[in-house]
Amino acid sequence: MTINLDSEKFFNKTKINIKEKLEKADQKIINISLIVDKIPKNINELSEQLRIIADLRLPTLDQYTTIKQHCEICLLDINNKISKSNFEELESLSITNDNLKHIKQIILEDIGIEIDTDYKNIIEEMCTNILNLIKLKDNLENILEKLFLENYINFYKLTNIKIASKMLEIAGSFKRLVSMPASTIQLLGSEKSFFKALKTHKNTPKYGVLYNHPSMQSLSKRNKGRFARTIAAKISIALKSDFNKTEIYPELLKKLNNKLEQYKQNNLKK
Amino acid sequence: MNNLKSLIFKDNTYYTIDKISGKKRFWDPTRSKVCAALKKKINIFPIEEDSKILYLGVAEGYTISYISDIILKGIAIGVDISAHSMQKFYLISKKRGNLVPILEDANKPEKYKDLVDFKVDIIIQDVAQKNQVEILKKNSDVFLKEKGFVMLSLKTTAISQGKTSNIIEKQLQEFRKYFKIIDYKRLDPFEKKHIFVIGQKI
Repeated sequence: MTINLDSEKFFNKTKINIKEKLEKADQKIINISLIVDKIPKNINELSEQLRIIADLRLPTLDQYTTIKQHCEICLLDINNKISKSNFEELESLSITNDNLKHIKQIILEDIGIEIDTDYKNIIEEMCTNILNLIKLKDNLENILEKLFLENYINFYKLTNIKIASKMLEIAGSFKRLVSMPASTIQLLGSEKSFFKALKTHKNTPKYGVLYNHPSMQSLSKRNKGRFARTIAAKISIALKSDFNKTEIYPELLKKLNNKLEQYKQNNLKK
Repeated sequence: MNNLKSLIFKDNTYYTIDKISGKKRFWDPTRSKVCAALKKKINIFPIEEDSKILYLGVAEGYTISYISDIILKGIAIGVDISAHSMQKFYLISKKRGNLVPILEDANKPEKYKDLVDFKVDIIIQDVAQKNQVEILKKNSDVFLKEKGFVMLSLKTTAISQGKTSNIIEKQLQEFRKYFKIIDYKRLDPFEKKHIFVIGQKI
């Protein structure tokens, strides 16, 4: 028995559906944030490898600089733009005075080796690679911010790029995140400890991704759980208004800040 | 097993004959729950050469590609909700000829009811949801023919974090309301806390 099925009909419809689903803004955010998450690890690994050679020339330099400044100083050094008598370029790099003093001392003491062309090429290539990665990360974060401001402004204003994109990533799509209740949003990111607690009949966690919220740091341990509950409720409202394309974030932020002040002063109504 | 031409059992492993290249292809029981059930010696394997199959939760199409080797005269319809996995399954089904993709939620069969205008012989389900038996029932009401078979791979951790044997008992009780159970097997050691059930529509 053979079946006469018009399979082209299925293929066409599926093709349209796939494209429709994957071209949405929330999928774009999830994909970009997955890349942004992994870039710092690459930068750290590369800078560690750079230090193997760069430390021969300018030892202990990385203690007084960020990774970006370290690469910039290395590039200036191998191109002979800084010397014992010429610190002009170095001073334009916006390093704090205290650190600048230490760096100048390293250069003046002249304890490093003279670098030959092989080492020079390696340092130049690695430094430009690291600087490019840092630039890429900044660019991607700008794109994320633009996407959030265009599409999910209420959600973004209550949280930040890191938390918002992480939440979208865990939920899978914006539509699914919108349909979640506030209690689920509060625990997003703590699935492992949550299910462990259910299994062993112990206390459930108080917060997941929300622990990294900037306002959390100023609160006591007890109030952190309370604040997580409050902010999850507000995020839930914000998401629903984003779905309807309305702006209510000034009102929500005002309420949230009032509550935060109360938690800080510890004068809660019982 | 039903004298299937392209399913081979040799040295305690399962192979199929590839539809495209004609070579022997190894079927991995740790990646496919149907193969794991076969290796656990389940009583019945209802798939035949001219079967029409509805597969809920195809993902990237690993298991269904072996089923397409077996059903040389039949057809299999794959349903999944993930667009990214569906891209891979789309390419596989274009290559093989007897597979068709549908990108929809298996929980809402009314959405793809109009596309499939015939009754199927077998429904295979592997979706790992809380209401797995309910999803199977909904789909079998719409698509399954009289006395057709259902094959359900049940993930107990998707339902509750309680004791596995208790969950299985409860789920089988619910399953019995709509189908006659022919055989079921735990899938250890290939899949932990999974059970594979084969039933027949009453």
